[in-house]
Amino acid sequence: MKRYFQPIKRREFIKKGMAGGAVIATAPLWKLFSHSLPPPDITSNPLLDLDKDTLNKLLTIGLQNGGEFAEVYVEYTVQNSIGLDENKIRAASRGVDMGVGIRVLQGEKTGYAHSDDLSLDKLKETARVAGLIASGEIKQESVALKEKDIPNYYLVKTSPDSIIPQDKAKLLWKGNEVARAYDKRINQVGVGFSDVNKKIIIANSEGVFVTDHQTISRLMVSTSALENGKRSRGYAYKGGTLGYEHYDLQGAEELAKEAGRIAMAMLPAEDAPAGEYPIVLAKGDCGTFFHEAIGHSLEGDGARRKTTCFWDKKGEVIASEIVSLADNGTVPGARGSINVDDEGTPAQKNILIQDGICTAFLYDKLNAKLMNTKSTGNGRRESYQHYPIPRMTNTYLMAGKDDPEDILKSVKRGIYIARIGGGNVSPTTGRFVFSVPEGYMIEEGKITTPLKGIQLMGNGPDVLMNITMVGPDLEIWGGGTCGKAGQGKPVSDGNPTLKVAKITIGGAKIQRS
Amino acid sequence: MSYQKIAENVVKTALKLGVDEAEVYIENNRDFELRVRNGDVETVKQSTTKGIGLTVYKDKKLGFSYTSDLADESLEEFTKRTIQLSEVADPKPWNGLPDFSKEEKQIGLDLWDPSISEIESNKKIDIAKEVERIALAYDKRITKSYASSFGDSESETIIVNSKGISRTCKETGVGFGVSVIAGEGNDMQTGGWSSNKRHFKDLETVEDVAKEAGKRAVEKLGAKPVKTIKVPVVFDRYASGSFWYGLLFALNGDSVYKKTTFLTDFLNKPIAAELVNIIDDPTIPRHVGSAPFDGEGKITRKNTLVENGVLQMFVYDSITARKAGVKVNTMTRRRGYKGPASASTLNVIVKNGNINRKKIIEGITEGFYVTGLRGMGTDIPTGNYSVGASGFWIKNGEITFPVDGVTLGGNTAEILKNIELVADDLDMRGSLNSPSFKVSELAVGGKQ
Repeated sequence: MKRYFQPIKRREFIKKGMAGGAVIATAPLWKLFSHSLPPPDITSNPLLDLDKDTLNKLLTIGLQNGGEFAEVYVEYTVQNSIGLDENKIRAASRGVDMGVGIRVLQGEKTGYAHSDDLSLDKLKETARVAGLIASGEIKQESVALKEKDIPNYYLVKTSPDSIIPQDKAKLLWKGNEVARAYDKRINQVGVGFSDVNKKIIIANSEGVFVTDHQTISRLMVSTSALENGKRSRGYAYKGGTLGYEHYDLQGAEELAKEAGRIAMAMLPAEDAPAGEYPIVLAKGDCGTFFHEAIGHSLEGDGARRKTTCFWDKKGEVIASEIVSLADNGTVPGARGSINVDDEGTPAQKNILIQDGICTAFLYDKLNAKLMNTKSTGNGRRESYQHYPIPRMTNTYLMAGKDDPEDILKSVKRGIYIARIGGGNVSPTTGRFVFSVPEGYMIEEGKITTPLKGIQLMGNGPDVLMNITMVGPDLEIWGGGTCGKAGQGKPVSDGNPTLKVAKITIGGAKIQRS
Repeated sequence: MSYQKIAENVVKTALKLGVDEAEVYIENNRDFELRVRNGDVETVKQSTTKGIGLTVYKDKKLGFSYTSDLADESLEEFTKRTIQLSEVADPKPWNGLPDFSKEEKQIGLDLWDPSISEIESNKKIDIAKEVERIALAYDKRITKSYASSFGDSESETIIVNSKGISRTCKETGVGFGVSVIAGEGNDMQTGGWSSNKRHFKDLETVEDVAKEAGKRAVEKLGAKPVKTIKVPVVFDRYASGSFWYGLLFALNGDSVYKKTTFLTDFLNKPIAAELVNIIDDPTIPRHVGSAPFDGEGKITRKNTLVENGVLQMFVYDSITARKAGVKVNTMTRRRGYKGPASASTLNVIVKNGNINRKKIIEGITEGFYVTGLRGMGTDIPTGNYSVGASGFWIKNGEITFPVDGVTLGGNTAEILKNIELVADDLDMRGSLNSPSFKVSELAVGGKQ
């Protein structure tokens, strides 16, 4: 009988977990910070005391049951946020997470265990538990770790973690003042700055040994407007893998004006019409559409399991010939950019659709190996508490040749989508929905009435075929946090101006024809 | 040292360092997760996580930090830093810990199953393999397995504050489920089902869960959009969650104070048809949505949100209630140790009506029986409601063909008033529980 892993005596397992909290960790973390603000930049801190020898030992323990591959992922993350609403700084907060995740693979099987207790004994136990997935002869006795140089796609000169909250507060006050002054019907303004500063070490039994410092920051202004019982909202933000040098008072002012403009533009919005319409997507902030509606169906885990609608379509036409789609982890400063993925593979630019033909899927190591191909640098995980899975980075529709003005003029009656909000998709059917925080009617080629309650609905394969015009004005911009299998990951996306010949719009109004 | 003791020490340290009030929240979890695909174990994940969140108030200023490092010498530094953070904030007169009454006594809700830790790994694997096997065999149109799974968890939650409150709760969770795919090519449909309970022996049978998943995949094959039309719509009991969440978010006390929800002016006024009754009740023994105390350490109780269609209360945490100057039963939730408590319902129950779901459908000449919703749907400021939907088309009182790729559009306020019938089929499976119900008319957006 095959034995997948030895049953651990549950009690024992828990007791160790409980004791863990009181056991002294190798690096008393708060010692790394001085008593007075500001804290030193996390990137200058010696992380955890995990040297090559220790990592080596853990990998070897992981392999001792016959595993084919072992990996140690060490993470230390500091998150800061500061928020203003109702004309007051609400709070500044700070959080620290650190831990180690150990993964062992054998064939299609994954064993994963993690620990936030960094004592050597506890880490050895974690490696042992992860290794229990495997059974058989030991295939690898030791590991020779080799440090790898990696490129840099982050635009970070000054770590936002080194900036005292009092300084960040100045941006918030500026945003608040400008947004409130924008129009007296604006009744609420919220402004927030947040940054996530992560240091990771990845070591695996193939000898990979990589360290990366990741910084993600964001400044956001949100507004609410109220007039005679009518309500609306607006928001604007700037963010990415950006250092603090990218934020200043003038930038805060611009965001505040934009958030004010949207709330005011949407205040008189009318009910969106339900039914099938052509749509024009504005450049830049509609890329989420491609991320959700198409990107998720091109991820390698679904391709391997044959559970996505495109699994058998490589080399085939899946889109109109003016459609080319890329996922590119190397866009400088973009929110989804990474020097290496969470398996230590360098980020790269992957063309998923070229002139309408499906050319590639996004892979992590495990799915790539099982499909006899190579990782595309898309093995990502939320934290040490998760094993990596194929994920997008910055996903965008590539530039085309149609004049944006002609695109708009070509629509007699349709919907103009200025920006796309949240959405979701079933990768199996390709069916998606999106909300639209800013949208308008198009009548005779002109943008007219603002619309509320627009919901875009359709399926990825149909939309790809129905893209009939694509502009040259590609912008990769903004982004958010993508959720998949319970893991949130920062991503960005982009698009040029484009037209989809028909798509289902959900709305409250039924047109009488 | 026990976590409760650690929490008490941190509160003491904070007070010694000069804060007016302090609250510590500690979480300690043990999780197990197993995935099977095509009869083989695919992943096994074991984890232990813990963390501490500290909230301090000094001169009515709020500071918050969290860390996963609970070592003694780290915690003093952590406490100091949290106090420094509070200096950045502006004072707000309503800031501070909640008030507690002497009557608040924690009662046992039977949320801990000691047998969870004794389940043999092989038994877990057998359950996951069996549920997949039966689901795949349910119908020959089922072509693939997405995965089946088994998981269990044990967790300990501690809240200690400077008002002398020191609470702990130990709870377990256990569940299994399966997701399969029916059809091929352009007509693939997924169907999944699971059972999640506090106690192992309360789980539904492997057969029941597997067959429900299989049925759900197959019945949607060949689904197609319909033409854009306004018809009566029946929301299935398992599909109405996102609609009710829209209403619950609109009841957030802070949004009411800021006048950013469409329900701002509706306290003690009718917001729904008379047959709509909604409560929040986290005190049901052994239920997955139950909790002995909420995110601020307040002992939970049953609260009535909507009675006979009339809105009875908004949902506040202690700070927003104080700010708004209202005296209410607060309801709060923690989303782990990484943030302070915030206003939230805990276990919502839309009460049963007295008509059979089948009878409701029989009474409809042409309509839409919705069994799946996609997207959040409700725009809180305006109440606009718009979601993707799937289900079945009703013709002359009978279910005819499966529908997918359409939207529902309307306004939450109107939909609530247009609830014509509420079925008697409530099934308590999670923290939001509703029977099926019929809305007299809604816009279904599809083909032109």
